[in-house]
Amino acid sequence: MKTLFKLAWRSLWRNKRRTLITISALIFAVVASVFMQSINRGSHEMIVDNMTRFQTGYLQIQDYRFENEPSLDNSFYFDPELEEKLIQQDDRITFVLPRIETFMLAADEQTTRGGVVFGVELEREHQFNGLKDRLVDGRFFDDSERGVVLSQGFSDRLGLNVSDTIALIGQGRFGMSASGLFEVVGIMEHPLPDMNSRTIYMPLETARELLSADGKVTSLLIGMDSDRHTDAVAANIGDFLEGSELRVLTWTELIPELLELLEFDLVGAYLMSYILYIVIAFGFFGTILTMTLERIKEFGILISVGMARLKLAFTLFLEVFIIGLLGVIAGVGFAWLLLYYFYLNPIELTGELAETVIEMGWAPVLPMSFAPDQFYSQAIIVFLIAIFIAIYPMYRVIRLDVISASRT
Amino acid sequence: MAVIRTEKICKVYNPDTIPVHALKDVSIQVEKGEFTSLVGPSGSGKTTLLNMLGALDMPSSGKSFIGDVEVTRLSDRERIRFRLHNIGFVFQHYNLIPVFTARENVSFIMMLQGVGQRELLERADELLESVGLGDRKDARPHELSGGQQQRVAVARALASKPRFILADEPTANLDTKAAMNLLDIMEKMNEEQEVTFIFSTHDQRVIKRARRVVTLVDGAVHSDETTAVDSAVKDNQ
Ligand SMILES: Nc1ncnc2c1ncn2[C@@H]1O[C@H](COP(=O)(O)OP(=O)(O)OP(=O)(O)O)[C@@H](O)[C@H]1O
Ligand SMILES: [Mg+2]
Repeated sequence: MKTLFKLAWRSLWRNKRRTLITISALIFAVVASVFMQSINRGSHEMIVDNMTRFQTGYLQIQDYRFENEPSLDNSFYFDPELEEKLIQQDDRITFVLPRIETFMLAADEQTTRGGVVFGVELEREHQFNGLKDRLVDGRFFDDSERGVVLSQGFSDRLGLNVSDTIALIGQGRFGMSASGLFEVVGIMEHPLPDMNSRTIYMPLETARELLSADGKVTSLLIGMDSDRHTDAVAANIGDFLEGSELRVLTWTELIPELLELLEFDLVGAYLMSYILYIVIAFGFFGTILTMTLERIKEFGILISVGMARLKLAFTLFLEVFIIGLLGVIAGVGFAWLLLYYFYLNPIELTGELAETVIEMGWAPVLPMSFAPDQFYSQAIIVFLIAIFIAIYPMYRVIRLDVISASRT
Repeated sequence: MAVIRTEKICKVYNPDTIPVHALKDVSIQVEKGEFTSLVGPSGSGKTTLLNMLGALDMPSSGKSFIGDVEVTRLSDRERIRFRLHNIGFVFQHYNLIPVFTARENVSFIMMLQGVGQRELLERADELLESVGLGDRKDARPHELSGGQQQRVAVARALASKPRFILADEPTANLDTKAAMNLLDIMEKMNEEQEVTFIFSTHDQRVIKRARRVVTLVDGAVHSDETTAVDSAVKDNQ
């Protein structure tokens, strides 16, 4: 084994330049692919992050009817007792965030617009998503005052400013009419452009009163120590809720269309790296091909004097594997360094792009993903390529005719 | 018992297109300790016969035995294994693994045989010394002259303790001095260790030193002469 490795290793470095070029090409492919994906996934992570923080959470408890019929009729009772029980289900749960979410019409003197009302517990909400920091004008409401904070796009559309009055009209539980006048106490900027044009925040208690939904919520967001535990925690809560009218949904279940869209958006990047890998694979194969052909005679001798074909094939596999391994390790290393560099020195964005990113609640730098699976997925691809390419020399020595090999 | 015995070996190349009858009913037998040369004009079938004797190729018909094993019945995999443990090879050129040193080339065969690390290194050194390369053990093939490379090849062929050694024109690429030197070494091993050698050659100087000369013409054994003369001459010196 040691000798076979020695044979493989030295044979590899017999043509130093060729081997180095092949390894460099692999490094380039890995670095370029990781980088491309990092940028693509960076913006996706940003979108998903905002989506989960401001809208869905990573885990959410709803009445089982709510998804199809998001009406207050499908709200449910929430009290400290339920909260206590939920938190006991899994020690990775860090908090429970109650919300009332409903559609209402908002009017000023001239116009009427549809908006989404969020009844929230301000302090908990802020801890979860930094809501208070989104304020651009005025202030946030106290716990039970009849004040609302509008998203900037919405206030623009309605032409409302701080300390103006807004009329909200809608339906509470069981068809009770719900309407009232509220003071606009603040304007905030919602990070999701879509939501920025139609969001109204008010205290949870105020919303309950307005909507005749005393003690009720439409959704409970479950906070965890890490979103990696989403599925495990969901399973535990699911067990607990078994038999009740409540159910737990993960963020992937809550925003499947968005995820599909994002996945679709990645196709381009995947395609690019696949093309890159195909090009690199051909170069790699070219190296292995010449390396094999110029050594046919050597292989013939080795088999003639009694080296088992499989042993020789294994040695050649080792050679390809070593090139692949070096390419992957160095490639992942460089990619990591590169991303780490950009992590420390983010690429500053300017112009319109910068504004968009700022609007979404992020710093005006190119969003990049640092997810570790990007690295190992590239590593796996390069390995698969290496193993695939190794088939050729292995096949050659398995089939090699020693007589004709010695005559070449 | 004979070391090698063939029974009416025929070899036809390209049987389906333009058949070449490279060997016609060749039956020969080689005893332990012989120092046999295979001669004949170019194209007479020397290499083909050596390939059969070395179980590198299969005859179109006929049988060949090494010891009591009928090698013509073995599968490819069995023949490879059989060669490893029973036959030493010296080829005309490109004998050695280019990335291995002389010592590594010699010990590689023993490694394949499963010989232990210590024994294998000791034996490799001994063998290299016996072929006069004690001071070039760590040289790679490209750092050695053609004659030195062939001597390493002989050492390698001996390393596996084979029943016999086959050499196809081992001196063809060597100058006279190197050729005679290689022959000296082969002869010494033959005399001192009773190593059986079968080698093909064109070279008159080499032919002279063989005890037995088998001449092939057109794929058939034309003559088979054993001469005691040379050794008698040698003994008198
Ligand atoms: N692989 C092959 N395919 C077809 N014909 C072959 C093949 N190998 C050898 N021959 C033919 O078989 C005959 C014997 O060839 P062989 O190589 O055994 O001769 P040789 O005595 O070794 O010649 P030389 O002294 O030139 O080495 C020749 O006519 C040769 O052309
Ligand atoms: Mg020949």
